[in-house]
Parts: sequence; structure tokens; C-alpha cells
Amino acid sequence: MANQLIKPFNEDFADYLRDESRITGQADSISFPKNKQELIGILQELAGTNTPITVQGGRTGLAAAAVPFGGHALNFMRMDAVTGLRKDQSGRYYVRVQPGVVLSKLRKMLESRKFEAAHLQSWDQSSLAALTEFARAPEQFFSPDPTEASATIGGMIACNASGARSYLYGPVRPYITQLKLALADGDTLTMCRGQYHAKGRKLTLTTDSGRVICCDLPSYEMPKTKNASGYYIEDNMDAIDLFIGSDGTLAIIYEAELALLPLPARIWGVSCFFTQESQAIALVELVREQLDRIAAIEFFDRDALAILRRQKEESTAFAALPAVMPGMEAAIYLEIHAEDEKIAYERLFALGKLIGAVGGREDDTWVARTAADRDRLVFFRHAVPESVNMLIDQRKKTEPTITKLGTDMSAPDSELSNIMTMYRQMLMEKGLESAIWGHIGDNHLHVNILPRNAADQLTGKELYQQWAERISALGGAVSAEHGVGKLKVSFLETMYGSDHIAEMAAMKKNFDPQYQLGRDNLFAARRFAEGGERS
Amino acid sequence: MKIIVCIKQVPSTNEVRLDPETHTIIRDGGQSVINPFDTYGLEEAVIIKEQLGGTVTVLSMGIPATERLLRDALSRGADRGILLTDRAFAGADTLATSYTLSLGVAQAGAFDLIICGKMAVDGDTAQIGPELAETLGIPHIADVKKIIAIDERQLTCVKVMDGGEQELTVSLPALITVSKDINMPRLPSIAGVRFSLDAPCQAYSAVEVKADTGRTGLNGSPTQVVRTFTPERRGEAVALQGSCPEQAAQILAVING
Repeated sequence: MANQLIKPFNEDFADYLRDESRITGQADSISFPKNKQELIGILQELAGTNTPITVQGGRTGLAAAAVPFGGHALNFMRMDAVTGLRKDQSGRYYVRVQPGVVLSKLRKMLESRKFEAAHLQSWDQSSLAALTEFARAPEQFFSPDPTEASATIGGMIACNASGARSYLYGPVRPYITQLKLALADGDTLTMCRGQYHAKGRKLTLTTDSGRVICCDLPSYEMPKTKNASGYYIEDNMDAIDLFIGSDGTLAIIYEAELALLPLPARIWGVSCFFTQESQAIALVELVREQLDRIAAIEFFDRDALAILRRQKEESTAFAALPAVMPGMEAAIYLEIHAEDEKIAYERLFALGKLIGAVGGREDDTWVARTAADRDRLVFFRHAVPESVNMLIDQRKKTEPTITKLGTDMSAPDSELSNIMTMYRQMLMEKGLESAIWGHIGDNHLHVNILPRNAADQLTGKELYQQWAERISALGGAVSAEHGVGKLKVSFLETMYGSDHIAEMAAMKKNFDPQYQLGRDNLFAARRFAEGGERS
Repeated sequence: MKIIVCIKQVPSTNEVRLDPETHTIIRDGGQSVINPFDTYGLEEAVIIKEQLGGTVTVLSMGIPATERLLRDALSRGADRGILLTDRAFAGADTLATSYTLSLGVAQAGAFDLIICGKMAVDGDTAQIGPELAETLGIPHIADVKKIIAIDERQLTCVKVMDGGEQELTVSLPALITVSKDINMPRLPSIAGVRFSLDAPCQAYSAVEVKADTGRTGLNGSPTQVVRTFTPERRGEAVALQGSCPEQAAQILAVING
């Protein structure tokens, strides 16, 4: 190939065929651009051969959106500079980043107020002036907090990631104030939030080269729940929202501006344990009604707690896990954000009363007010998915066909008890092993089916499809935070129906006429080949 | 069983500020935590209390803001706190600190066991526990990783040693210092936090504990910190060539500067 940045794929790059979904794909070539110019050169070269392009960041996704199914893997891990800082008239700060910036590194930079000297050299004067003020300002933070802090900002925008604190702060979407995008042919689009709006469901955009793109937006109504399923579409929408959560299918993000928030003076984590699952669910409903500024409401069922107990006993890596009290069947983790210590205590003790009201005990709680204690609770929360992955990896040694089957569905508030009952009954009827945890504050639970053999795997998949149908019928979303990627294509069709999928494919053609970007993400290749025609 | 646990306020980060005159750490209470080793001592005391009954008193010498850490210890199972706070205690080395702590022990009343962390993560001396025991005239065992048995009269434990372990029994009252292997400290509960806000936590001045101020603070510290600095990290690597004796000679030359 003429462009030396495009490297033929070989076994040295094998890791780039996978992500955290545990799906392995294949690719013909790979590149690691370091700047916009390199990116555009790569795209222009690939456009000449209509090569499919799968964009990658930290490959921490769970829906295989970054797994290439042929063509070119475009990896952004070397395009990882923080490129500027801005303070607006209201005193709010915004940080400008390339897509490969890793979330954990961004957090450290914001916390320490120190950015890499090599990157600072390219900052403009206004950014440097903002940095001087930023260094003296109260600490700021970027609120989205997906479990994997090794996620890149580009990947987080591509799937509209959220995390535990999205209960209070929402997902990535509202914090994206500017995007710089590259189209498949190398042309570019720049847009700020508020700059371009659709008229009804018609959107017109002008690329940086002056090309006008007009398209009809799909006609579906999105669920009123936490949602990362397919394109964000609504009447008169801000154009920037179309690209956030688009799974790398419309354009490639090469720079983004992120809005920051002042860090609350007090952030306290509280884990509450219950002898009955119904008590935990009752607490969630009371907290939603009565407590302010709760940033996260997370759930762990008895099976998740059992996995943690076992890991603590059997694995030295998990020996530091706090020991769960015997007899506990469910846990709720809440995060209190408060302006000062007095308010934090008021909220903590108000929570204590609610725990008593649902039949729990203040003694059966863990309160994390120090950084060290918060780290222990984070370790506890993150140990659950990690342990489940280890369990599945172990089983795969004897049953290579099995994979973890983890749901990512959300439902309306009124349906929380109903969906829990549905999950429990159907899992019991099928005799499947499972563990349930996740963002119960948003009725967004990760129901993880843990297949023991190929038959379980098949049964689990059928169950998963049935849940997608029921959740969709309840007005929920088949993906609330992981994105659709390649794994949930059939669920998206279940949720929206084939006509709306055809509308999505038709819209994509306006941005990516050769079907190069994010192939097989959101909808199957045949949908595009059908020309976006309705079935 | 009456147990006293000594705790120390230490910086929560490596980026500490140093007094340009005394070269000691400026402790303003802002980003401070309980010395991590002491949290294991506290947990072990609470475990013993749960088994045998009794009380756990947490004792510290420090600035007034140290009360926050004592109340944190109260939320984790201690029953009362004692804080020794006075300008006359400032700038103390381990000898002056252990003398001052011994006055706090006297305020606590009769005791069976004193537990300290084996060292503090800021000073790294591991001297306070043994020096306090000597000041009080009681036996001590340092670097305990496990308590095998304990009753009102004696304690049997496993002590970590260079290249091995030793099982020892000591009559009470006694002092032990503990390592991080001994337990996994608990997190406080909401009930514990509620208790800690109103639990007794008494502060004492030098006058109140009848301190000989010639033995406290900088006055009572034969150890003076001459200079503190962060070692320069050069990140250089040198490849040695030649036979073993030749390479040994090169290493010796590096050591001798």
C-alpha cells in the first residue's frame, strides 16, 4: 500500500482483533495515526479501495463495535493529546482532547491540574491563559465513569458511555460541546453544540470543504429510559447528538471538547446489605423519591455476592475484598455527592432511616468517606464483572463455544419490580446460572447468564431475545450504555422494527455512501446492501 | 479487656509540605489520613473486644484537626478517643513522642494491651511502639502478624522476623505492633458513623497531662532533622563489562562514588 501508515495485518497485532466482548474478528490492515493529517491520508487511501474501516480506542467495549470483521482497523491509541482548555463566561471549564486520550489519564490530569509538557507546546494562548486560572480553580471533573477507566474518550463518545454516576449526571452526551469529525472520504465536519439543528426530521450539514449533506432522519421515537440503542433521533435535534452514540458508523471523531463540572466537596460511597432482595428494591424506590444528589444507585444480587465471597476465599488477587456479612442476599451501593460535610451527614442519616424503613439495618452498611475506603468499594464493585469474566474464561477451556451473555437493557421506573420478577422467573424456569448487577437507579440491570455448556448458551440466547422483546414492549431500551455494536444488532431490530432500521441505513448512506465505517455495527450489512429500503 | 490503640495522622499523598526551619512535615490536617498500619491495629483491637468484651481507646498526639481521625476510628469500632494537642508537643522525634503518648496512656487509665501499627508511612522509623513500651516499663512484641490466643492474663502471637517467624507468649499488660498481614480492616457502618459524632473524644494540653516540657516536642528531641529532600531520579543504566571480578570492582567503584 502506498501509505506507509497502513500496515498489513499480522499476528503481532492479534490483540487488535478483540475487545472486552471477547469476540475475535479479522482484519487485512491496521494503522495508528498520531494526528489529523495522518488520519486524513489514511482515509483517502482507504476510500480509493472502498475498504471497510473499524475504529478502535481502548477496546474496552462490550458490544464488539471495535472488533473488525474484515478490512482496516483504525486505532487511535497514539492520538492521545489534550489539545486545549477553555473557560466560558459563566466560569465553566472545557477540555479539548484527541480521541485516544484514556479516561484514567484524563482524570489524573484534571485532578493534578497538570498536562503533559509535550502537549502544552501546541496549546494556543487562550488555552494557556485558561490553564493559569484552572490551576487555581476548585477541582473539576469529567463525570462519565464507565467501569473500565482504560476506555478512551473517543470510544466513550462513540457508544455514549455512562457508568454508575450517570444516575445523577447523565451519560457522555450532554458533556460533548464540540466535535471534529472525519468522513470516510477524508472530508471533515466541525460542529459545536447549538450550531446546527435539524428542521423537524430533516438535517442539512456543510462539511469543512463546503460540501452540503442533506438527509432525512429516521422517524422513530426513542424510549424515555436510559438509552444507547441506535442513533439519537428527535425532532429539531442538535446535529452533534447524531454522532454521539453512533458506534463509529457515520463519521470518525478526531477531536472533542468536553464540559467539566466542579467536583463536589464530599463524595461518600455507601454499600447497604439486605437479607431479602425485595428490601433492596424497596430502598431504591424510596431513595429515588426522597433523597437529593445521589449520584449512583447500583445493585448486586445474591449470586453476584456469592461470586465475590468465593473469589475472596480462593484468589489472593481478591483477598483484600471487604468480607460480606453472612446471610446477605442483595446489596445496594449509593454515592452521596454533597456541597459540604454537614449536608453529606444529613443525607447519610436520611439514607439510614430509609434502610430501616424497608427492614434493613444501619449496621449492615459500609460507609466510605476516605479515598482509601472509596477505593475498596470501587474494587468491590469492579470485582464482580471481572470475576464473571474469569469464570467464563475458565469454562471456555472445556466448552469453547460458550460466552458470557450479559444484558444491558433499561426499563421505565414503574417497571422495576416487574422486570426483576420477570428475570427471576425466567432464569429459574430455564435452570440457568446467573448473576445480576448494575445501575438499578435507572432500572438498568446487567443480567449475566453464566452458561455451563453449549445447551445453556443456546437457551440463554433465546432468553436474551425474549427479554429484548418484553423490554421493548414495556417502552425500554435494549442497550442502555454499552451501545449496540455487533452483538445487539438483532435486539435493535426487535426494539425499533425493520422499517426504522431501513431508515437508519438510508441515513447512513448520506455520510458513508460506500459503507466503509463501522461495518456490521448497528445493523447487518445486508440492510445497507438492500439500499435502505423498507421491508 | 481494656485496649489502647495509638494512631498517627499521616499525609494522604507523597506530595507533602516541609517546614523550612525544622525540616519536619507540616501537618495542617487537610489531606491527612490515619497511618495505614494503625488501621490494622485498630481492627485487631475491635476484633479482641468483640471476642472478650471490654473497651477500645484510640490515642493520638497531634494538631487539633487530628480529632477528625480519632472520630473516624470511633466509627470503626473504638469506644473513646484521647488527643494530646499542644504547641509544646510540636516537632517531636520518636523519644519525645513516646514520652508524650505515655502521658496519654496514663489519662486512659488501667489497660491490658496497647496496639500500635508497626511503623508510620511518613517517618518509617518503627520506633514508637517499642519506645512507648520501654517508657511505660511493659513488655512488647514488634511486627505481629497473628494473634493465636489472648485472655485476661496473656497473649500468644506470631511475630515476623527476618527470614522467619517466631511464636511468642507475653504476659499482660503488654504492647504489640502489628503488620498488615494480621487482618483486613472493616469499613464503618452508618450506625458507627452516627456513634462517632457524639462519642467521647477528649483533648489534653501539656499542662493537663502534667508534661515535663523539657521532654516534649523539639525540646525533648535529641534527634534533629538536618535536611529533607526528594532523591533525584536520574533514570540512568550502566552496562557492566568484563569478568565477574572486574564487574564486582566496577560495582564497588559506583558504591564508593
